[in-house]
Amino acid sequence: MKNVKQNNYASRFGRSLWEVKELPIILYVAVMIIVFSFVIPGFFSIKNFENISRQITTIGIVSLGMTLVILTGGIDLSVGAILSFAINIGGQGIILGWPMWIVYPFMLMLGFILGWINGFLTTRIAVPALIITLGTMNIYRGTIMVITKGKYITPIPTAYDFIGGGYIPFIIFAIVLVLFIFITLRTKFGRNLYAIGGGEVSSLYSGVPVRKYKMVVYIVSGILSALAGMILVGKSGFIQPQAGLNYDLNAIAAVVIGGTSIFGGSGSILGTFLGAILMGLILAGLTMLAINPYWQGLITGFLIIFAISIDSIRQMRR
Amino acid sequence: MRTQLNSHVKLLIVLAAVNIVIISILTILSPTFMTYGNLSSVMQRMSELAMLAIAETIVLISGGIDLSIGATMALAGAVSGILYKLGIPLEYCIIAALLSGVGVGLLNGFLVVEMKLQPFIVTIATMTIIRSIVYALLQGNVLTGFPAKYVDLGYVYIFKIPLLFIIMIFFAVLAILLLKKTSLGRRIFSVGANENTAYISGIYVKRIKYFAYIASGFICAAAGLLFCIRIRASIPDAGINAPLEVISAVLIGGTAITGGKGSVVGSLLGILAMYLLLNGFSLLGLNPFWEVIILGIILIYVVGQENISKNIKGLIVNIIKSRKSAAKASLSER
Repeated sequence: MKNVKQNNYASRFGRSLWEVKELPIILYVAVMIIVFSFVIPGFFSIKNFENISRQITTIGIVSLGMTLVILTGGIDLSVGAILSFAINIGGQGIILGWPMWIVYPFMLMLGFILGWINGFLTTRIAVPALIITLGTMNIYRGTIMVITKGKYITPIPTAYDFIGGGYIPFIIFAIVLVLFIFITLRTKFGRNLYAIGGGEVSSLYSGVPVRKYKMVVYIVSGILSALAGMILVGKSGFIQPQAGLNYDLNAIAAVVIGGTSIFGGSGSILGTFLGAILMGLILAGLTMLAINPYWQGLITGFLIIFAISIDSIRQMRR
Repeated sequence: MRTQLNSHVKLLIVLAAVNIVIISILTILSPTFMTYGNLSSVMQRMSELAMLAIAETIVLISGGIDLSIGATMALAGAVSGILYKLGIPLEYCIIAALLSGVGVGLLNGFLVVEMKLQPFIVTIATMTIIRSIVYALLQGNVLTGFPAKYVDLGYVYIFKIPLLFIIMIFFAVLAILLLKKTSLGRRIFSVGANENTAYISGIYVKRIKYFAYIASGFICAAAGLLFCIRIRASIPDAGINAPLEVISAVLIGGTAITGGKGSVVGSLLGILAMYLLLNGFSLLGLNPFWEVIILGIILIYVVGQENISKNIKGLIVNIIKSRKSAAKASLSER
């Protein structure tokens, strides 16, 4: 028990620096900002940071939901598909001329339902979440293409732009972020998430309603994916069936770079936030350096390997 | 062990039956399905994904997972294309492309074996890295201009069967012989089933894992060359959806994601079902994406059913037992 506490609340109690889960990611972000600021004139400017924060909001929101799922020891490969499903099927409402106050809740509702399906299947069939969400990803993506027949939805009424304009996406992101940090660090719910990831059977025996928690986690992930989709629509002004294509793996990357263990049970929301920021920084930096953005993947990949290596070394020391 | 094998054989029979049912339905519904032209084009198109499935099966049986298969495939195409453009003779380009696949396998193996990292995340990382290298090599463009002699191999038929398909079958037979008939193959199964037991029984677990990843890299590179030949160019997006498609098909084919169980035949049947459905829906004028939906449902059903019979029942019995014993304990305390 003592061990578990050390893991999860390391940052709060300020134990030895090595034990701070977010340490590597904080270092990466700091180094990246410093290096880029020296190398690129105009990188260290409010305008640039504004841009970066705008870019990372959608993937950031998805990653936050993914963090909860991974904390419980699961994984959700269907987030990109849910994102696309919510906006494409919800977008049919726009075509039918539904008012906005129906379309938005409808999209969130779709996210809820698809997340619920993931949670239901994962908890009832007891197959690895990886397989379940791989299957549901196929099902959702297929359904989108069958219903939309691959057609874009465009133009979107300008009223829908507001959610993607100005600071609103980042404000939404920040609200979700603060809420989740509070939940994971200060509530019984959050603590139980870590407990489930640490050991599902033992938490079941200690009276944690594991099934219910897992359902909630997948539903939250679904709703957040739908929310990210809505912001994406606001930003881009059109809806395409292939939306959110790489979101699954990118979100997992952000979570893992942020120091959350893929086995569940340890990690933090703050780490994921920094992970998303790091990926945004790299992309912006490379773009401003006029380096081919194709190299971004190379850096992201090495960051992932580096992040999990540190996690693995920690596990071995224990 | 015996019951496990039997259940797997049963699954293979069911899968084969499913394929036969699909074929007969399509034959009845669509006049063009049973024509030579259609069937040979299905064979040709499924070759490279089937190769990837063979690679993935080996890795999954060894207890790992490889998401970098699609990227490796693209890398082989890019390497062979770029080198050929530099004026290097084609044979060397092909060898270099295959070696690049071996290199990727070596990298994956190193990270998984020596650094003891989780293969799922490692191969996401290597996938990202390799894909970015491919984009950078090709500058995001499609590279054409292979010699006609080379790409015309796509039109070569032996006994009216496309050469690409025959190459795939050749690899499949090799993989089946390797897994079933050699001690190396049995060791791969044993490492996947239980690493510690395998280690204690004197198997070099590390070498086996290296072998699985390197074999996967090599086969994927070969698949990349087949793809190049078929579409007569190397494209940066080759196999971008492959990892998830292939893993779905392989899992449908009865290979366990936990390792130690599976067969190349099952994976090939999975891929075949996928392509038959895809072909069928487009022939019938239906939306081809129904195939994706059906694939997802079959995936969850196949894997779920197996687990229900094997794990859940045991788990429930255990839980009930432990609850009963807990209740008894609390009663006796009173």
